[in-house]
Amino acid sequence: MKVTRILLTLLMCCLLLVGCNPRYERKVIDDINIATGMGIDKSGDQLKGSIMIPVFKADKSMENFLFTAKGTIMRDVAAQMQQKASQPIFSGSMDVALFEEVVAREGIVQVLDVFLRDPSVGARVHLAVVDGKAQEIFEGNYGDRGNAQYLKDLIEHNMEGGNLPLTNLHSFLFNFYQQGKDPYLPYLKQESPELVNITGIAIFKDEKVIDILHENKMFYFKLLVDKFSMGQVKVKEEHGEATVKSITSDTNMKLTKRKPYEITVQIKLKGLLTEHEGTRLEKNEVKDIEKELEKQINKTCLKLLEDFQKQKVDPIGVGHFVKTKTRNFNFEKWQTDYQDVTFKVSTNVRILEVGVVE
Amino acid sequence: MVRDMSIFFRRRRRQKEQDDKEQKKQPSSKGNAEKDKDKNKDDEKANKHAEEWEKELSKSTDYQKKDYINRKTGKKFIFTFIPTLVEEKVLDNNALPPLLEEEFLKIIDVKKLLPIADVEVSSDTKKIAQKLLDGYVLLTLEEDTREFAFFSAKKTVVRSVTSPEIEFSVIGPKEAFVESIGDNLNMVRTRLPVKELIIEEYTVGKLSRTKVAVIYIDGITNKEIINTVKQRIDDIVKDEIADSSYFTQLIADNGNSPFPQLLDSERPDRVASSLAEGKVAIIVDGSPHALIGPTSLTEFFNAFEDYFLNWILATFIRMIRLFAVVFSIMITPLYVAVVTHHYELIPKDLLVTLVASRRVVPFPPVLEALFLEVTIELLREAGARLPTKVGQTIGIVGGIVIGTASVEAGLTSNVLLIFIALSALASFTTPVYQMSNTIRLLRFPFLFMAEIWGILGMTIAFSFLIAHLLRLTSLGLPYMEPVFPLRLHDFKDALFRLPFSSQSKRPTFLRTGDSSRFSKDKAKKKKDIDE
Repeated sequence: MKVTRILLTLLMCCLLLVGCNPRYERKVIDDINIATGMGIDKSGDQLKGSIMIPVFKADKSMENFLFTAKGTIMRDVAAQMQQKASQPIFSGSMDVALFEEVVAREGIVQVLDVFLRDPSVGARVHLAVVDGKAQEIFEGNYGDRGNAQYLKDLIEHNMEGGNLPLTNLHSFLFNFYQQGKDPYLPYLKQESPELVNITGIAIFKDEKVIDILHENKMFYFKLLVDKFSMGQVKVKEEHGEATVKSITSDTNMKLTKRKPYEITVQIKLKGLLTEHEGTRLEKNEVKDIEKELEKQINKTCLKLLEDFQKQKVDPIGVGHFVKTKTRNFNFEKWQTDYQDVTFKVSTNVRILEVGVVE
Repeated sequence: MVRDMSIFFRRRRRQKEQDDKEQKKQPSSKGNAEKDKDKNKDDEKANKHAEEWEKELSKSTDYQKKDYINRKTGKKFIFTFIPTLVEEKVLDNNALPPLLEEEFLKIIDVKKLLPIADVEVSSDTKKIAQKLLDGYVLLTLEEDTREFAFFSAKKTVVRSVTSPEIEFSVIGPKEAFVESIGDNLNMVRTRLPVKELIIEEYTVGKLSRTKVAVIYIDGITNKEIINTVKQRIDDIVKDEIADSSYFTQLIADNGNSPFPQLLDSERPDRVASSLAEGKVAIIVDGSPHALIGPTSLTEFFNAFEDYFLNWILATFIRMIRLFAVVFSIMITPLYVAVVTHHYELIPKDLLVTLVASRRVVPFPPVLEALFLEVTIELLREAGARLPTKVGQTIGIVGGIVIGTASVEAGLTSNVLLIFIALSALASFTTPVYQMSNTIRLLRFPFLFMAEIWGILGMTIAFSFLIAHLLRLTSLGLPYMEPVFPLRLHDFKDALFRLPFSSQSKRPTFLRTGDSSRFSKDKAKKKKDIDE
């Protein structure tokens, strides 16, 4: 009994000491500034950070407010912003983090370090590289749900139903730390003060952007890196143009030969015909479209793979794939081996539906 | 019915001894002792006592002694009784006509003569005082006072059987227990007319001498449970028992727990069905609530109406109720925790609403929540203490006026007002009143912990709650059964209510003498002709 009492007292002490942890300071929602977006731009030699907070009004509408500060390291920038804010800024509810292309070309891991060390920042923060200034994007006005929500929704709905492959802080860091795989992020551009467009995909070599993939290749890129694609693609065949919306896609890599490596990428795609030039579908036209699309995918994907090879980047994770098939895999040797890999792409397209109009 | 009650009881030896002890303390003797012609030593002693008990009783004005003369034999006989306890109709219509008209010589003859079932001939003078206080009439013959007769003429003020108010059900039986133990036992007996149904009577309380009946089914109910109940009732030392809820507190395994450890029910059907499961019921005289034990936590969230509904509906309703309990305890603390500590958890779209409604409130979330919680508790308490008609007004004044006004005045946020109102509503879904009070209380420790450490604090509070519940027992059996110890078979009638065909076994934790209620194979067969 005495032992239990002592143990209980100790337990109580432990519980009470938890209260000493400064993380349990009160953060009452109307007494804090909730950061929803963060942008990093280059300004001279220094970084210029901007943090977007929503300002809630009594009539339940909201506005965006931007804190900006300059500095060389992120923590310094953040500290300067706290000096300007009337209420403390907390970053636990961050939705998007945008990087100016110039910054991204110099490397973003130093900035991401702030996120990594803060447990309140979630792994589902969306990262993106911006054509132009991140601050300008935040300064736009995109509807009454708030800029952060707009940007988040923009990226998310294109991942779920569009041609954008899945990216967020989690997947970026996974790709970054995984040997034989390079990260990629969406590439945004402000079209007008009310609109932001996804214009491509920023391809990283380690932590630095080295190339921007054009938006018309995004579908093929998503086919290669993602297991599931809901994107839409245009096909040209003898009867005219048609668009095919993919429902499911499955990509498999096969190591068909070693020394030199030969890799076959098998893509299976099931889709439906969403648009077709010409009123009627001729006999066998669906078959033609399927074949044409297969050809098109084979050609573009192979081009993509070879381009990446030339640029010595590997967003598809070929190195990672070969590693899983090889005992005592040597990454240093792989750097040279990667250049000699021959790729083959074989695609199988099935159009399941052509719509109600015959 | 009440007169016949003692037939139901099997008195135990120990009880008698106890009775005797009590009687020794009270002065008692024969009636009419002063007229006794026998002059042996015992009688002299008795005379002294007689004067004493008569003195005591005659201090009250409701003590009467009446002489009558038989018309045939001219014999004088005397009625001694307490008129406030005696039904005069019995005296006028049943007792007096035969005694006045018919011929009788000895006191033994009275037993045949009187058209009353409960007639006792005795020479034990010690009994007299208590018998008179139990509503019996003492009959003595003038010449022979050594032997005398008692007959029961007890007047009981009883209300008639009404429909259950606390455990109301739309369908199903509409009778509820009343204050008379005889009527209550009759209702249970009628529902279980088997010889194995055993009723044991005890008397508890030096002053109130409350009759308590322990009911069980011999051969089904575990002996150990019965013995536990008997022993605990024997150990009660309270002088006065007003209601069965006294018993809940007096024989509870842990008197310092906010959780009720015996299920109280005003439904005879529920008691009967619990007995059939192998449980023990306790009925206390003067209380319209029977106690059922051993019980488990889940049972407090089962309404008896669940059995009148199809099992799918019943299971659905039970789930709703369970959700309501968790919701009722957790929602206000969760609001405080999230708004004070965990802004990350709030969806962005909700953030606008929350911040906009919080903005005008000058207090921290916990004070705001406490203000509303206390208001609700005040309303409930005021409603419960006031007469029904005034109570309704209080509900309207409290609910609408105070609620709206406090939001408009900026004392509370309207989001919290919705949560508080919902949680109050949810707490009413608990079918057992005692448990719904417990749930009312549980909210507050969670609220304080949520204020201090947010969701971590709630987790700590929850751990303490679970630890307490795991330690709790009801009549020595685990309170958290079937969750812990895990008895998968008993889930059939705990969180869910499976169809009757799969309820063929009695609950395993009761360790009944006969675990099978009916043959499962027979239950599944259907004898339709056209198949």
